[in-house]
Amino acid sequence: MPITFAAAASHVPGMTAWADAAPVAQKDRVYGAFDKLRQELDASATDTLIVLTSEHWANFFLDHIGAFCVGRAERYSGPVEPWLKIEKADIKGDPELAAELIEAAYDGGVEPGFAYELEFDHGTMVPLHFLSPRMDRPVVPVMFNTLASPQPNARRCLEFGRLIGRVAAKSDKRIGLIATGGLSHDPGEKNHGLIDSEFDHRFLSAMAAGDADRLGAYTRAEFAKAGAGAFELLSWVALVGALGGRKGEVVVYEAVKPWATGVGLMNFTRALAA
Amino acid sequence: MSLYALQKLIRDVNRRPQSREAYFQSPPKFAEGYDLAERERDALLKLDVGALYAMGVHGLLLRPFTILHKVAEPDYLKAIRGE
Repeated sequence: MPITFAAAASHVPGMTAWADAAPVAQKDRVYGAFDKLRQELDASATDTLIVLTSEHWANFFLDHIGAFCVGRAERYSGPVEPWLKIEKADIKGDPELAAELIEAAYDGGVEPGFAYELEFDHGTMVPLHFLSPRMDRPVVPVMFNTLASPQPNARRCLEFGRLIGRVAAKSDKRIGLIATGGLSHDPGEKNHGLIDSEFDHRFLSAMAAGDADRLGAYTRAEFAKAGAGAFELLSWVALVGALGGRKGEVVVYEAVKPWATGVGLMNFTRALAA
Repeated sequence: MSLYALQKLIRDVNRRPQSREAYFQSPPKFAEGYDLAERERDALLKLDVGALYAMGVHGLLLRPFTILHKVAEPDYLKAIRGE
């Protein structure tokens, strides 16, 4: 079965927790972009979502950090943040698809960790809230270490993404892929409030072109310059790997100061049909 | 250097309700359960945000921890920027 839906979206918690702090026009454009993507996801009759995501010390700590972790639980819960203004929910997993993904990755030369128990923080719950608000689509979370140095490099994320794409494309199910995080931001750090729109536009252009060579060549220094939160874009790089360099469209980009983040949403679904 | 223990304490307070309760009942007693250097213990008990940040506590551990202490964002940023 071909991949039925593919998108990338920021997950900054301000989009729900302090949504009205943003200028109305910016908030409306971001929310409108999410509406478009949600309609596209609904129309695609996707069975299961593979969410390429990051977490923020919710599950993992320095006692054991891996580059990637695939969730193989029957159910997940989230959000862990009571202040997020997203109702606590149980989300069904897809352990069968997760097992396929893990085995294919190991056979293909990338060895992610795996977990039978994970909680979702805003990194996963914000995009699900906007794109699958009934929380009724099963999810396989693929968590990227974007916090503890060294983060996996972009080339490796691209390779892992290619393996994910192969599993999704040969599945009997209709699979949707969502990458979440970024763009430039520096949460909790000295440059909190930093939005590097030049970096964001360059990155979005490479994503829109499906330019795997450029995306795989991004260095840790380049991400770090755009703020600690820019490492979350490693999941976007993996998405391009999964889609085999298909082109995408930027649905929205807004530098939203009250959310302290360059917010971007991209849609690759139309290229899937080509 | 026991930065690991310091961050572990902060993460436990942030993420574990029972640890949070125990910490707020008695921070010094709670801190005894972690192998902290003296200057880390001092910075923690004084909630010296600038010192904790300078020691290397990750921003996404430190900021939620300071929110639990009702530290406003501008004050947090001033502290970590050394202003």
